[in-house]
Amino acid sequence: MSRAVSVASLSKSYGRLKALDNISFEVDEREIFGFLGPNGAGKTTAIKIMLGLTRPDKGHVEIFGIDVQSKPDRARENIGYVSQNLSLSNEITGYENLLISAKLYGVPSSIRKSRITEIMDLLGIQDRANDLVKKYSGGMMRRLEIGAALVHRPRLLILDEPTIGLDPQVRLVVRELLRRLVDEFGITIFLTTHDMGEADELCEKIAIINSGKIGVVDTPTNLKRSVGGDSIQFETKAPEKALSILTGKFGDTKPIAKNNTISMIVNSAETALPLLINTLTRAGVIVDAIHSHRPTLDDVFLKYAGSRLTDVEREGDYSHVKQVRRTFRRMR
Amino acid sequence: MFAILEKTAVIWELELRKMRHDQTDLLIRAIQPVLWLTIFGSVFRQFRELPLGEVSYLSFITPGVLAQSVLFIAIFTGVSLVWERDLGQLDRLLAAPAPRTSIVLGKAFSGGVKGLFQAGVIFAIAFVMGVDLIYNPIYVLAVIGVVFTFGVCFSSMSIFVTTLLNTRERVMGMMQLLTMPLFFASNALYPIEIMPRWLQIVSIINPMSYVVEALRALMITGDLSRLPVALGGMAIATFIFIGAAALAFRRVGR
Ligand SMILES: Nc1ncnc2c1ncn2[C@@H]1O[C@H](COP(=O)(O)OP(=O)(O)OP(=O)(O)O)[C@@H](O)[C@H]1O
Ligand SMILES: [Mg+2]
Repeated sequence: MSRAVSVASLSKSYGRLKALDNISFEVDEREIFGFLGPNGAGKTTAIKIMLGLTRPDKGHVEIFGIDVQSKPDRARENIGYVSQNLSLSNEITGYENLLISAKLYGVPSSIRKSRITEIMDLLGIQDRANDLVKKYSGGMMRRLEIGAALVHRPRLLILDEPTIGLDPQVRLVVRELLRRLVDEFGITIFLTTHDMGEADELCEKIAIINSGKIGVVDTPTNLKRSVGGDSIQFETKAPEKALSILTGKFGDTKPIAKNNTISMIVNSAETALPLLINTLTRAGVIVDAIHSHRPTLDDVFLKYAGSRLTDVEREGDYSHVKQVRRTFRRMR
Repeated sequence: MFAILEKTAVIWELELRKMRHDQTDLLIRAIQPVLWLTIFGSVFRQFRELPLGEVSYLSFITPGVLAQSVLFIAIFTGVSLVWERDLGQLDRLLAAPAPRTSIVLGKAFSGGVKGLFQAGVIFAIAFVMGVDLIYNPIYVLAVIGVVFTFGVCFSSMSIFVTTLLNTRERVMGMMQLLTMPLFFASNALYPIEIMPRWLQIVSIINPMSYVVEALRALMITGDLSRLPVALGGMAIATFIFIGAAALAFRRVGR
């Protein structure tokens, strides 16, 4: 199998902030590769460097063996890019947007029309082709955005948070579309997300990224297996005391406290739960609530990034959605 | 080289399509020159002391008002570029296999076309107001050429300035700061001879003066003796600003 993307020891700092800290990874052809990480992890920075839009301080990117630094336009011909923001011109029609994209990427005039019609059919927006984009719903804009990235039949599709700001139903449509692109057209997809469900469901391979560092790269199944056991979460009013009692006693990952909730990974919840409650009760720590579950990607994240994605994410996520909404509004 | 021209045409087409769908914008921008001609023109008509020869004051300032309105519209090319960058719309162009220079040229050429719309409006008003314009087709074609080049020239200048300044707030302030002296320190509203000495020097290095001079020769006086100088000055300014904009823009998205 040949390499679609190969990234070697990439670093990028903005002032004193290390947006990317020596990351390396490879994407094979015909696979869906996901960057999973919270806001500010460095996902967009990595993409901009892959497209030659930002210059790295150090490191090297190749797209299908083409060096992006020295031959950016040659590399870009192979890439379809869907940015995190809505990037289409909303004051012209959907059809016109695709037409401009086709011309920008040098699609021959003889097949332009049929290509655009084909894509509009694929995305289910053919009946709105001649409407101004500013009259589209957010979901339609997103689909058009993906369509514009497909007109030149790129071998690699790069999507920066493709489902942000979409309702669950449209998310599903977009995910199915991406799956089809790989299965039917043999495209390679690189995407970023901070939605674990999305990464789990869609990606063949996931890189966990936090604060500019890649913790691990593997398949979702292997990642979950590598957590090696069950995840336990419980609540108590004395989290510090509980932490000091438990550290080193169960499994090999350190328990993590967030407010009054403590998370930990154990080999088997069935044997660990009674022991845990007994140990804590004997030491005078009262457990208010407890539950266990099979490992999810969030637990994987805990193991490799040292925090829970849901925790880092909660506030950030909201401000992010707000920002996207603002952009929508501004574009109207 | 061929790639640059090809992609320039695409970016230009994109801008023209946007323009076609937003004609109200063009109409609104036409209001200002109308006001200049009707109000300013008729008030200053009273002053007989201006050394204008046989030309009426209204005729004298018509080319000036045309140049000014093209200047104002061209200045917005850069502003809209920064705006698009902040929205993330520019990323789409930057991520395409298109030379950076073609983005600059495509945008600048669209500034030239917007200028032509202004010219159309002003010709119409001037006709209605009875300004004695030269309607010889060759002269009119030359005016179109001058207006287009001027639009490209000042669009490039605005792209250059906005690319250097980087933030939208600074850009807005700077544009205000630039347009006023460009306009008033030129021969758009009064002949250079009546200006104080220092202003005369400023107006000689002001590209706006050359444009107005060319337009005045082609639209009003028909006296082409100074036309080569005017066109030469304009061509130099255009080349300088296109070059500066293209150079500055290479750093964008890098
Ligand atoms: N142009 C810039 N100037 C300064 N800092 C920047 C710039 N671009 C990104 N950063 C910083 O680099 C870090 C990584 O940003 P990046 O946009 O790559 O994160 P992200 O993973 O895409 O986050 P999100 O999920 O919010 O999109 C952030 O701390 C951000 O503030
Ligand atoms: Mg991002």
